[in-house]
Amino acid sequence: MRKGSKIGEFEEIVILTVGILGDNAYGVTIKDEIEDRVQREVSVGALQTTLRRLEKKGFLSAKQGDTSAGRGGRPKLYFSITPYGKKAIQESRDVRNSLWDALPPGLLNEIA
Amino acid sequence: MTSPPKWPFRLLKFFCKRAYHLDIEGDLMELYERRVQRLGPKKAKQKLWKDVIFLFRPSMIRSISPDLNTSPMLKHHLQMAFRHISQDKTSFIINLTGLSVGLTAVLLILLWVQDEWQYDKFHANDQQLYSTYQNYDRPSGAHTTERTPTPLAQAMAEELPEVEYAVAVNDLFQWRNGLGLLSNEDQAIEAKGLIASEDFFKVFSFDVLTGNSEQTMKRKDLIAISDQLAKKLFSSADNALGKSLEWDHSGFKGLFQINAVFKLPPANSSLQFDVVFSIDHLLDNDQWSGNWTNNYARTYFVLTPGTAIETFNPKIDQLLSNKEDKFRSSLVFAEPFSDQYLHGRFEDGKVAGGRIAYVRLFLLLAAMILVIACINFMNLSTAKASIKMKEIGVKKTLGASRSSLATQFLTESILLAFMGLTLAVQLSYLLLPFFNRLADKDISIPLNPAFIGGLVAIGILTGFVAGSYPALYLSGFRPITILRGKLPTLFGELWVRKGLVVFQFSLSLLLITALLVVNDQIQFIKEKQLGYERDNVISFQFKGEVYDNWSGLRDGKSNETFYRFMEELRNTPGIQSASTISFGNLLDKIAGQSGVSWQGQTEEEKGVAFKSPVVGYDFIETMGIQLKEGRTFSPEFKDHYHRIMLNESAVELIGLENPVGKILRMNGGDCEIIGVVENFQHGSLYDMIEPFIFRFDINGGNVLAKIQAGTLAETLPRLEELHQAFLPGRAFEYTFLDDDYLALYKSETQVAVLSKYFAALAIIVSCLGLFGLTVFTAERRRKEISIRKVLGASIYTIMHLLSFSFTKVVLAAVLIATPLAYWVSSNWLKNFSEGISLSPYYLLVPSLSVLLLSWLTISYQTYRAARVNPSHALQEQ
Repeated sequence: MRKGSKIGEFEEIVILTVGILGDNAYGVTIKDEIEDRVQREVSVGALQTTLRRLEKKGFLSAKQGDTSAGRGGRPKLYFSITPYGKKAIQESRDVRNSLWDALPPGLLNEIA
Repeated sequence: MTSPPKWPFRLLKFFCKRAYHLDIEGDLMELYERRVQRLGPKKAKQKLWKDVIFLFRPSMIRSISPDLNTSPMLKHHLQMAFRHISQDKTSFIINLTGLSVGLTAVLLILLWVQDEWQYDKFHANDQQLYSTYQNYDRPSGAHTTERTPTPLAQAMAEELPEVEYAVAVNDLFQWRNGLGLLSNEDQAIEAKGLIASEDFFKVFSFDVLTGNSEQTMKRKDLIAISDQLAKKLFSSADNALGKSLEWDHSGFKGLFQINAVFKLPPANSSLQFDVVFSIDHLLDNDQWSGNWTNNYARTYFVLTPGTAIETFNPKIDQLLSNKEDKFRSSLVFAEPFSDQYLHGRFEDGKVAGGRIAYVRLFLLLAAMILVIACINFMNLSTAKASIKMKEIGVKKTLGASRSSLATQFLTESILLAFMGLTLAVQLSYLLLPFFNRLADKDISIPLNPAFIGGLVAIGILTGFVAGSYPALYLSGFRPITILRGKLPTLFGELWVRKGLVVFQFSLSLLLITALLVVNDQIQFIKEKQLGYERDNVISFQFKGEVYDNWSGLRDGKSNETFYRFMEELRNTPGIQSASTISFGNLLDKIAGQSGVSWQGQTEEEKGVAFKSPVVGYDFIETMGIQLKEGRTFSPEFKDHYHRIMLNESAVELIGLENPVGKILRMNGGDCEIIGVVENFQHGSLYDMIEPFIFRFDINGGNVLAKIQAGTLAETLPRLEELHQAFLPGRAFEYTFLDDDYLALYKSETQVAVLSKYFAALAIIVSCLGLFGLTVFTAERRRKEISIRKVLGASIYTIMHLLSFSFTKVVLAAVLIATPLAYWVSSNWLKNFSEGISLSPYYLLVPSLSVLLLSWLTISYQTYRAARVNPSHALQEQ
């Protein structure tokens, strides 16, 4: 892996979630999705810091969108994965796959 | 729909980055709405607060300044600052030199002060650690001793619940400096011994590296030694454990097992020792040491947290008077242990300062130097106002606010302060070895956050102080007047500038006077006739046995070996005379004697304590004290312990008409007065002359020998040889009495030397400022000078014109500082029983030198200005 494209575990989760949500990825939905899937509570602070960091690094891009009821007229900020972000999660997956492939075949049975 | 609470959103708006704020706020509102539905408004509100608080993190917080223009403005200010620097390199260099020299002095002083403050403060119990003192009545007022009765520590720990631990410590009375010989099969090393009771290692934080320190202090046959000693004798601490060592000291001797090894006390500890013994050795070897009436040990104790020493002190006193009804109240008191270094002087039974005076003095000096350096900066930048005027006018017309201009000037001065500070830190690094040698210290520059924080604080403070006046002054110009080319009211400015120079030179003058007075007083002390001869007298402690047992004095047993040693010493060629004294000399640690009674004594006089050294034959002769009547102690008369000599002061106190042959009663026996000597100045000149009773004993551990003048080189090796013959393996360590006398003034001498350098720095910085001002004035008056020259003025007239305004300023400083200097010096001299008198010399010399110095500083510049070719200067425009 090249230096600079390293992503942390939570970062990877956030990027993947943004991908899953497609056109509807903004603060609240991302938070809900992660909490649903990973079964852990995500604070707005932690999520927002990570989102902005990923945006700054170029893994995500942000676009201001419409507002909806219950937001006091405030706009939503939609996130989507950039090509660079896609490459990064792909690389991360490849590394993992190659590590999985190298695992001795019998090992997983023992765990199970 | 419930409306969301306002405050969390206000808080968010306050700290959140503008770009992130809106959509995050939207998210939070959406979440809140949903939570109200699911969890109810109360829970939703709690969660909202939690979310907002967890959003408060570095990447979310906006910068503090409300206008977004801050950082470009700062950049602009810095750029302007660098342009100003390159425009006028002379005043930049003067400013920078002044600031960095000043800051170097300040830094070094602060390091010194910090070091002084840390002394003895490393103990974990420092806040609760106290030492006790006891007061005795003397004719000159209560006398305070550090030693208290040995059983006090134990009684305090047992009977007073506020005392956590207490320990009795004896340093072997400094007999042979407390040095004994420690030996194993291979080698013998001199080591400093300490006797202490059980809780020694609990009261003090001397690290025990290995072994059991608690057990060691309880048993007589066990000792604890320092890691250094362990390394020398057994190559490592672990090796030393369990090994045996032979201890040899005139107090006691024996074979001991090493049961603990501790880390050698650091240099900033007042307790210094290599080996610790159980207190039982003191109690066993000296029948008087366990009494409540004798002061044999220092008592240190740890108070439980939260106990105030003021309310506790009477309880110690009560304890003591319960034990021994001889004691009246308010005799024993405790002071914080770590205070004894800086507040170690007692007057009339109360703490009366000490070294702290020097610490304060140096802090004041640091502040003065810093102020002088700042003044330079203020002066030069206000002087340059005319140059900056156009810049300010244009900026103001274009809408620059006063505060933004002030910020610009402050930025400039803080930038300069930090440049100066950087240089100062580097200079301090270079100077530190030299400084350490002067101050007899081992200071290094600590690179911890506190120190760096302190540096930054000093930098900002200096920049702020130096820049405040120009910032306020220059930013207040009215653009219309200055752009029209009119100078703003120069009158006030001129006064301020002159006032600052007056202040600078007053400080310099004060410093010079103080230096002169201190140096001359020290010289006076060095040469002072004290009523005894201290030249060519050496003093050393006999490290062998003097008596057959510790408390041999009253048993009258003498030791044959020591007797022979003294005899051979007296017969050594080059030795004029030799004598002994039980311990100490006439400088400090002079033994005391109370409970003396005589015929016609009043009730009040019963409590009087005399100074009472126990001396041997020829003492009066060796010391060159003048005999007034009677005779001195001499072998012819087979003198013994019941014969005494007095000084005039004692005769006067007792009120004797014909003292020789009269009887005084003391120590349970009648003592006959055989002679009277004239008064002499014992101790330092800080001490008052007190009544003396010389007691006699044929032997005394401290030997004094008067060497014939001019034969020092031959005689000393002979003494060395003699010492070697009697005490093989023990080092012959002697001091000269005149050196010992000067050592009493060690802090004064040290302070005098240090302040000499600092004062020189202060004066250099002042002169730099004056120099800068002259350069500037000369430049500004170029045209005026040229016109004057065209009209026929000579170089002399012009130099006179230019110097005169500065001379007036320096003269004003002389007028202001002279009375102040007189007052300060005469107050200091009052500390001494005798000293130099303040003649006009001490006021004239500094004034003249300041004047001369200022003329020297400005003369080159005025000369250059006066030499200017009028046609060049006038052509310029």
